[in-house]
This record gives sequence, structure tokens and C-alpha cells, in this order.
Amino acid sequence: MKKLKSMFKIHRIFIAQEFKRMMEYKGDFIVGIIGFLMIQMSNLLFLWIIFSQIPNLLGWTVNEVVFIYGFSLIPKGIDHFFFDNLWAIGHFTVRKGDFDKYLTRPVNTLFHVLVEKIQIDALGEILTGIALVCITIPKLGANLNIFRILIMIVLIPFITLIYTGIKTITASIAFWTKRSGNIIYMFYMVNDFAKYPATIYNRFVQNIITYIIPFALTSYYPALFILRGENSLFNLGLPVLAAVVLMGFGILVWHKGIRAYESAGS
Amino acid sequence: MIYVDKLRKEFKKTIKDPGLKGSIKSIFKPKTIKVIAVKDISFEVAEGEILGFIGPNGAGKSTVIKMLTGILTPTSGSCTINGKNPTENRRNYVREIGVVFGQRTQLWWDLPLRETYSVLKEIYEVPDDSYKKRMAFLNEVLDLDSFISSPVRTLSLGQRMRADIAASLLHSPKVLFLDEPTIGLDVVVKDNIRRAIEYINNQEKTTVILTTHDLEDIELLANRIVMIDKGTNVFDGSISELKTKYGQFRELYFETDSPNPVNILNYENHFNFKPDELNIKAEGKTVKLSFNSSIVPVSDMLSYTLGKINVSDISVKDADIEVIIRRMYKHGENL
Repeated sequence: MKKLKSMFKIHRIFIAQEFKRMMEYKGDFIVGIIGFLMIQMSNLLFLWIIFSQIPNLLGWTVNEVVFIYGFSLIPKGIDHFFFDNLWAIGHFTVRKGDFDKYLTRPVNTLFHVLVEKIQIDALGEILTGIALVCITIPKLGANLNIFRILIMIVLIPFITLIYTGIKTITASIAFWTKRSGNIIYMFYMVNDFAKYPATIYNRFVQNIITYIIPFALTSYYPALFILRGENSLFNLGLPVLAAVVLMGFGILVWHKGIRAYESAGS
Repeated sequence: MIYVDKLRKEFKKTIKDPGLKGSIKSIFKPKTIKVIAVKDISFEVAEGEILGFIGPNGAGKSTVIKMLTGILTPTSGSCTINGKNPTENRRNYVREIGVVFGQRTQLWWDLPLRETYSVLKEIYEVPDDSYKKRMAFLNEVLDLDSFISSPVRTLSLGQRMRADIAASLLHSPKVLFLDEPTIGLDVVVKDNIRRAIEYINNQEKTTVILTTHDLEDIELLANRIVMIDKGTNVFDGSISELKTKYGQFRELYFETDSPNPVNILNYENHFNFKPDELNIKAEGKTVKLSFNSSIVPVSDMLSYTLGKINVSDISVKDADIEVIIRRMYKHGENL
């Protein structure tokens, strides 16, 4: 308990440091905010153009498709916001030997890496996601009761862990190969499939995004329950199970990787 | 305090043929060889001791330090520090050690230096009152006050090194690992840092393990030297032991009016010195030479020199540790 408390404290301090860091370079920060708002607006415009052209998609109404799309952005954005630092592990931290510093501090290395940085850009995904979900919910009608919305909210942290878990596993590969940025990227980008109902893909792709790189579990399957009340055991159980298994496996691979870490000459 | 027993580290290295073709070939048919970076090294360090850990580039010093600090996992052998094994109980262990890698920094690059200390305070869970006392102490020893509000990226190398050493000492570690703490610093800063290390070692009985290429660091600070080369231990003992064991070298210094004294004297031929037994530096009127006194006694050298040319000033002294170590680096263990 005491440990958990000190972990939260460290997390809070790291985030505060990150904000101070951003403020240190005010010009960059302000331009960043402006750029970020422009990107978000163009994204929304683009979505609106696409969805206004498709009245329905294989039996999914526009509102349902937009809900799936919007909901998929929330956990993705949360992971992106808090745990973006894993990319650095894959790209250069291990290769350049900068991982040394984590190993000389009395903090769990994975925890330290995860909470050390935040990615402010990700607020765009989170806000867009929340906006799309909030806009579509009233239009989705009678099926959506408060109970299902609560389930949806409870599910978000688990789904976030699916992203974090997959990134942890792929980033850990760098401990052996020195560099795994492209591997993280390849796996991470599969999540683009998850923004739409999985039934629009062929069986092969469906199986991959359900069981292998299970990004369909991040939005489509939960939506089956939230929107239509279908098969709660499968549609809710599988994402939770996947989150636990992926994150657990990620932690395991990470700690195995540390033993193989070779640092860099100095 | 520190027991290192047959510590060994092997790396797998992929061998590539040169050029793009070689790189592509190695993707499909990787050839790996085993490189032994550290070969069964053993030594001990007592509490409160300052150990100079030296060796030529690539000898395996950093690899040993990284195993002792829990960064690298040894292939075999063991090290125990304060009764703890660095890789088995890492988080618990690193609370008791401080680490500085002169080539890297653990400071928060974009923020004022002060921020680094306030984060490290939380990471190491230093209570408020001891933190205040500690910062006052470190400020006194390392003189941080003048730049503690500046962003780390604006610090000079000397300031950064002092700040890094302070960062490693914030949690009052029992053992301090310093990997090239004086690299690239000017003489004044070097001197400051040496005095700080000495003071902390004195005040708090902190055990210090120090790697460096600056032998003055070693001469001024270290009680003992462990020297490694090609991953094996080649010397373990005090500086005076090093001098008596390998230091039959003497330095002869004189001034003369004779032109071309080195040619006139021609020591090599007269005494039959082998190339590594004699080293001559002549600059205008002054000549400095170091020679192996077990081949030619000092008295012979002196009388020969004085008899041959006109000398206005002459002195003989023990060889610098640098001379000894230069020879050791060149020849490895076969002295």
C-alpha cells in the first residue's frame, strides 16, 4: 500500500516535470497547441465527409460506426498520452545505452519508463474520441442504458492495457536486437483496423485482429455488447482477458530483456 | 564490503562482411562470435577505501562497473556488495549506491538543476529534513548554488559534472561508483572534484570505486589500484607496491649548454638500452629522460652524463606512476 502510494507520488511528480519542461520552451509549446488544434479540426472534417457518404456499413448504421470509431480513440489516446515513452526504448534508449540510468534507480524500470514522459498530442485522440462517443450516444436510442455506459467506462482502462501491453512486448525486443522501433510501429499500426466493425474484413484479417494482435477487442467487440447487448461473456470477457495476458506477458518479456541488456560502450 | 569473485561477461557479436552486401548477407546468415569482455576477475574492496580501477580503453573497466552497479547481468561469477547481489535484489541494492558515468548525465536536461534534486528526493524517498541538510552539505562541498537555478542544458561540463556527482550522493550512498568523473575537465575543476571526493570519503566513510585515465586522479585519491587489461586482472595493490614492483624506473632531468646533448650522450648505444627501457625528451637546453635503473644504476648514469657534457642543473627522482602505467598498458602482463 505504501509502495503504491509512493508510485502515485512519483507518477505525479514526473507529470509535473513534463509540464514544466513544456513551459520551458514556450514558443514551441504554443505552436504545438495551434498545430494540434488544426490537426484535430481537419481530422473531424475528414470523418464528417466520410461518414456523410455512407448511410450504413454491412448493417451498421452511421451512428454505430462513428461510435466504434470514436470509442476506439479513447483508450488508444490514453495509452498514447501516458505511456508514449516506450517508443523511445525501441528507437534509441537501449541502442545508445541510456537505459543504464533506469537500472541504477530504486524504481521498477518498466514503471519508471512508462510514467517518465507524457505525450500532449494524444489529447487530440482522447478529446475527439470522447466527442464522437458523446455525440452518437443520444442518437443510438433505447438500447443504451446507464448500466452499459458504466460498463463501457470500466472497460476503458483494460483496453488501454491492450495497447500498453503490445507496445511493452514489442519494445522489449530491443533488449535483444538493440532496436525495435519499426516492430512496435508495425504492430501498433494494426490498430487502424480496429476503428471499423470487424465484419467488413475477410476471415483472415478478422482472426488476426481478434486473436493474434487483438485490436478488434479494443472497440468492435465491446461495442457489440454496449450497442446491441450481444454475448456479454465473450465481448467483455475477452478484452479484459487479453489486457491481463498481454500486459502480464509484456512485464515478463521486459524483465527477461533486462537480463540480456548490453548497454553501450562509454 | 565489496567481494568480486570470478566475474565474467561474454557478449555475442555478429560478424559482418564489409559493405552493404555483407550487411544483407548477415541478415540471412548471421555469423556470431563470443567476445569475452571480462574474464573471471576477482578482487575485494574494504569499507571506506578509494579504489582506482584502471586499464587501457576497451580493457573491460566499464563492463565491470556496470556489473557491479546492476546494469549488466554477469555471465558467471558473483559480486556481493554490502551483502547484496546487484542483479538479484536490484531495487533494494541501488538505494545504497551512487553512480556517475562521466560520459552521460542523469540530470533532467531541460529543467533547472534544482528540479532534478527534488525528483531524486522522491525517487530515493529522502525525508524533508535530511534532504535540506544534505543539499546544504552538497552545496558546501560542490558549490552548486551559483548554477542551481539554471537549466541543465546551459551548464558547463564542469558544473554538470559537479551536479551529477551531487545527484549521485543525494541519498547518502555507502558506495560511490565514479566512471571517469574528470574526463574533459580543466585543472581547476578537476582539483575541485578530487577534493570533494576525498572530503566525502573522509567524512562519511563512503567506499569509492573510481575509473579514470587521468593518473593524477589515481595518485591523489586512490589507496589502492586494480588494473585490468583484456578482461583480466593484471595488478592489485597499493601505489607504492606498484612502484616498488614495476618502478625500477628513474627520471633524470638536467640542463646543459652543450648543443645536441642527446646525440653526444647516445645512451642507447653506450649502455645497450632496449627501446622500452629508455625514454628521452629534449627541449632546447633541458633534457628529461626516464630509464630502467635495474639495467643501469643511477650512479653510473649520473657519472656518465656529468663526464660527457657540461651540466648546469641536474636532478633524479622516482618515476612518475604515469611512466609505469604507460609501460604496463603497452605490454600487458609480460613486464
